[in-house]
Amino acid sequence: MSKSETKVEVKGKFNKKLFLHRLRYKFIGYNVVDGIGSRIVTYVILIAISYIFFYPLLKMASMSLMSPNDIINPEVDWIPENISFANFKAAWYVLEMPKTLFNSIWYSGTLAIFQTIVSAMTGFAFARYNFKFKNFWFTMVLISFIIPLPIVIIPRIMLFTSIQSSTGIQLIGTIIPQLILALFGQGINSAILILIFYNFFRMIPRSLDEAAHIDGATALQVFWHIIIKLSIPTIVTVFLFSFVWNWNETYVTGTFLRGAIKLLPMQLSAFDNVFSDLAPQIPGQASVHRINEAYKMAATLISIIPLLITYAFAQRQFIEGIENTGIKD
Amino acid sequence: MRKSKKILGRGKARRENIRGYAFLAPWLFGFLGFTVFPLFYTFYLSFHDVKMTVLGWETNFIGIENFASALLRNIEFTPALVNFALMEIIYTPAIVLISFILAILLNQKIRFRAGFRVIFFLPVIVMSGSVMHQLMDTGSTEIVWVGQIFIFKIIHSYSPLLARVIEILFQNFSILLWFTGIPIVLFINGLQKIDRSLYEAAQIDGSSSWQSFWKITVPIIKPIALVTTFFTIVQLGVFPINPVNSMIQDAIYNTAGGLGLASAYAYIYSLVMGLIILIAYLLLKDRETVTVTTVKRGKKKKKEKEEDFLYE
Repeated sequence: MSKSETKVEVKGKFNKKLFLHRLRYKFIGYNVVDGIGSRIVTYVILIAISYIFFYPLLKMASMSLMSPNDIINPEVDWIPENISFANFKAAWYVLEMPKTLFNSIWYSGTLAIFQTIVSAMTGFAFARYNFKFKNFWFTMVLISFIIPLPIVIIPRIMLFTSIQSSTGIQLIGTIIPQLILALFGQGINSAILILIFYNFFRMIPRSLDEAAHIDGATALQVFWHIIIKLSIPTIVTVFLFSFVWNWNETYVTGTFLRGAIKLLPMQLSAFDNVFSDLAPQIPGQASVHRINEAYKMAATLISIIPLLITYAFAQRQFIEGIENTGIKD
Repeated sequence: MRKSKKILGRGKARRENIRGYAFLAPWLFGFLGFTVFPLFYTFYLSFHDVKMTVLGWETNFIGIENFASALLRNIEFTPALVNFALMEIIYTPAIVLISFILAILLNQKIRFRAGFRVIFFLPVIVMSGSVMHQLMDTGSTEIVWVGQIFIFKIIHSYSPLLARVIEILFQNFSILLWFTGIPIVLFINGLQKIDRSLYEAAQIDGSSSWQSFWKITVPIIKPIALVTTFFTIVQLGVFPINPVNSMIQDAIYNTAGGLGLASAYAYIYSLVMGLIILIAYLLLKDRETVTVTTVKRGKKKKKEKEEDFLYE
């Protein structure tokens, strides 16, 4: 009844207050969400920010196609005058491409496998068992994420070099030091991986493994047959994260490898120096010019393409993985 | 009856302990051996002259010599440290704020939401030290040269300090945004967990959306803001925009200064880092819940606090 009354009133004479109110509603909305105006603003901001996100990548793609003349030419901003793929050829050669790519894949892959296994075990311990000092150790997991790497890396180096010199087994320059670190849950960003597993395992009902225990399964059997098989998607997510992070890691890797195994990101960071040595030998190119932005950007693009492909196929796993680190409500 | 139950309970607790520690063992040994021990050993080393000899590592006590050369004799270390601290202090709030705003925008019912999220998360996958170095080296990250913008010049004439801050922010604005990938996801996740009915109730009580934002969204999101702040501080330290890291690495390789000096560097650096984290914690910790638990629980206060920390 009252509703129709107000309507009539509005129709009868122009109600300025109500009109403004409606205008405001249309434009801004009550929830900041529904107005047209705020919607347009939202899109503008998001698109502008996306542009800034992509800017370095776009710039990289554009520069990588430029000839040396285009780089110097101030009139060429985005689109090169004569597109050349010569930069890629040179960068491919200097990066020692197929070899470094395969090195990177097996290196990060191996580390990722061990990191995933140990993170799963640690996450499982925290999610399933009420052992003594559990909260304390869990806090330690979180704190271990904050501890800066430089402060722990020096004794690690000393440890591995002294083992190497006393036993004669080659450790520095091989995957072994990092493999040991990964095996003991001290690889890159381990705390995040443990958190992902912890939050997933907590969601699996306990009654499942209690039933298995009653049927005489051991703890390890429960872990393997029930928990692991239920959590294949989470395992894939953690493996992908670990793979990408190990791939991109240059600090610890550089310290332990010292260039003995040529990995893609390492080769990219050494690109400027290696270029001048290798450039004269590049086959099929009569005159390779001095190093310039085009070569660098072509090399950078080559080095991130494997990651871009991984992301294209697995972006959902990546984003959901971080959601599962679950800051609890 | 009661007795048997008690024994059963004790057996269960024992089993839980054994199994829990069995699964925890690899991480535990690794943590103690490769993180806790190095933490103290680096401290020990920082007061020593460390040399590699035929017999292994040789350490000689030299007092605070390493710290003296780090802070007084090396003219590059202190400025690098100051730069690092400045960068953390300016970048971290900017990154957390921007990712919070973006998360709010992405939490709405808009089109291409998934697409935007995919774009904003991309840097997390692509970003490595060497990629970032190459991009910054070729000037691919400088979107605008703020020095040439008119408004900036006005700001500069009024307050050079503010102008400097703005300049630092916009110098590598793309790179700054690249750090928002994971914080955005964390914030969206937090926003989605807020009960919608809270907003509805507030609206019925006559609260404007602005008020609801400050009274509902912000307090609930605060713990997540703390986590993202920690995360951002740590992440900023890892990448080569942090000048100190590469200095420490050079010191590790450099046989003349030795590992003792590198340890001193690492300790000073970590102290600064710890200080920044502490400031962030003090600024963002949830005061209200702490006081409530003090009043209500009395003795349980400490435990509650610990738990609070876990849940953050």
